[in-house]
Amino acid sequence: MPKLTFASVQVGEELPPFTRTVNQEIFWKYAVASFDYNPVHNDPEWVKTAQPFKVPYTVAHGMMTMSFMTSVVTNWAYPHGLKITRITSKFTRPVAPGWTVKCSGVVSEKHVICKGKNYVVIDLKAENQNGELLAVEQVEVLFPG
Amino acid sequence: MSRVNFERFFKTEKQREFNTDFFTAAENYEVWDEIDFCNLEEVDGERTFEIKAEDMKAYAQGCLDDNPLMIDEEYAKKSPYGGLVPHPLFVTQIIFFCVGVKGRGNWIRTPGARNPGQEMELYENFRVGEIIHIKLRPYDRYIKRGKYYLKYKIDLFNQDNIKKATCISTLILPPTREDMRKFLKGQRGLTD
Repeated sequence: MPKLTFASVQVGEELPPFTRTVNQEIFWKYAVASFDYNPVHNDPEWVKTAQPFKVPYTVAHGMMTMSFMTSVVTNWAYPHGLKITRITSKFTRPVAPGWTVKCSGVVSEKHVICKGKNYVVIDLKAENQNGELLAVEQVEVLFPG
Repeated sequence: MSRVNFERFFKTEKQREFNTDFFTAAENYEVWDEIDFCNLEEVDGERTFEIKAEDMKAYAQGCLDDNPLMIDEEYAKKSPYGGLVPHPLFVTQIIFFCVGVKGRGNWIRTPGARNPGQEMELYENFRVGEIIHIKLRPYDRYIKRGKYYLKYKIDLFNQDNIKKATCISTLILPPTREDMRKFLKGQRGLTD
């Protein structure tokens, strides 16, 4: 794998996607991993009537979708010793069991500061199997050396 | 209230001790219209979090990330990082564990809450062996398009008081205690 350097990164460069298909079993596993046991993710009976999202089925944790988007960046940056310093996300559509979540990212900004402080911004989005937008995110990645 | 048997998924000590029922202590939860925004005093989380390798690995596996830097201790030891690297969203696990049920910030557990998006700054990677504590304070509260937003600023520090991360935690909440109680009974406590 060629070494990723600040000089080698170009605005417009696309990162390899991160795609996962989710189901109720995965929602439960994520609840255990995150300690977020909110019933909207975990309790198919409760959500039939409570419907916080106006749908009668459980939905994925937003933080799981955010994790998927961020994994696009970690897979790209971590092998090269880069550092994620800021993450901002917005969720646009709840994720239903059975959906495939495809996350993609592109380098949108290159901040030329000085050696050790240079960073890039990655714009990310998550879409379902029908191409409907689920979430967007921005991640700042520092080039430490 | 929870009808799910989560035990089959437990892999860590913390997972085995954490209460998976978000209903039992719900009357303790802070509610959108009851929070005193004239008192912006910072408070400590209810618990500390001693980071173990199993915690970091459990988070990565829970979000279906098989990056060996996050789950393979031997591989990570030989990398430039010198040890496991947490998934950046590992901070979620720490916050839910530390917030607890009695004090400030416990509204993140509210049945009926919705997540509109999050912000976080990460200053240093978390490391195995660190003991993390959190400090919280109210940050913003507003109504937009009929939805009730609440934001808290949560700072995470290690045992040497080095700030590791800052999160602006945001949720859309049922606005009143009565609205939350509707959710506890399985009714929709929102009008939007």
